[in-house]
Amino acid sequence: MHRKDADINTSLMLDGNAIAGELQQIFGRDLTMAMTRCGRCSADTRLGALMAFVRAPGVVLRCPACGTVIIRIVETPGQYYVDARGAVFMRLDRDARRLAHQ
Amino acid sequence: MQPVLEWQIASVTAIRAETPQTKSFTLALPQWMAHQPGQHYDVRLTAPDGYQTERSYSVASEPERVGVIELTVERIADGEVSSYLHDVVIVGDKLEVRGPVGGYFVWGIELGGPLMLIGGGSGVVPLMAMMRHRDACKSTIPTRLLYSSRTPEDVIYQNELNELARKDRMLEVIFTFTRQAPAGWSGYKRRIDPAMLSDVLGPLGGSARVYVCGPTLLVESVADGLVEMGLPQARIRTERFGPTGK
Repeated sequence: MHRKDADINTSLMLDGNAIAGELQQIFGRDLTMAMTRCGRCSADTRLGALMAFVRAPGVVLRCPACGTVIIRIVETPGQYYVDARGAVFMRLDRDARRLAHQ
Repeated sequence: MQPVLEWQIASVTAIRAETPQTKSFTLALPQWMAHQPGQHYDVRLTAPDGYQTERSYSVASEPERVGVIELTVERIADGEVSSYLHDVVIVGDKLEVRGPVGGYFVWGIELGGPLMLIGGGSGVVPLMAMMRHRDACKSTIPTRLLYSSRTPEDVIYQNELNELARKDRMLEVIFTFTRQAPAGWSGYKRRIDPAMLSDVLGPLGGSARVYVCGPTLLVESVADGLVEMGLPQARIRTERFGPTGK
């Protein structure tokens, strides 16, 4: 996937910030500051800066460096499915309230 | 621990037209909590048949305004939620909201500066929360806003921005117009480009914290330009807006 293509996907693209509410509802804490490492290109990206595609049956988060799918989230009437197999890891501060920036 | 986020029922206490395409909605919240400037709220609509849809909107107001939040919403062509908010909602109506959310695209005076804010279109909304917060705290952190609009009538918060810049010597607001500039305009009349970034960022030095919010293409070109200028990635925060209604 080429990032610069001004196609329908690009024009509907958001970033991980857009699903902050859903993530916080699922996990009980902010996740947009969580660092993810891409399983394909090893780029480290805060979840809030992953490319987000939300106009679909679920949410797809992709690596901004190489486009690999990092996380998929699907909501059913009774459950959430979170598939994070595209990430090597996700790193979160133990203090969830720590402010952004170093 | 952060309190668990729950949906709550807000009351619309005021609606103000900002531009032909944007309105600000003041919402009174029964479970208000102070947000960090840059955070958003999700708004959820439920149809009589149970169909639900939700969108995320940046808070425009400063956390020092207790008990209420203000959301500035741009009307998106065929936008399910924004059309409803623009065409149907009136003062006194109830809206289901959840927030504040987001921890990535946030700034408060405790983070310091200098502060460079770059917004395109309604991307100025979370940046306005940052400027209102800075003003409410009487902060003197050097701050510049570079604000790209298509035409003069698309400028959101025009009067307030002029007033803030007039009374505060540490704040500068720089406009650029991409389609049509005001008559006699001597400022920028083009999309944000590396030369413009360099001009505008120069006086703040290389240690500025930069927040960029707007449509994807603007955010990507600005972020690339900043990195090429040698700004550390860790000092750049970006937020992309959805379809701009074109």
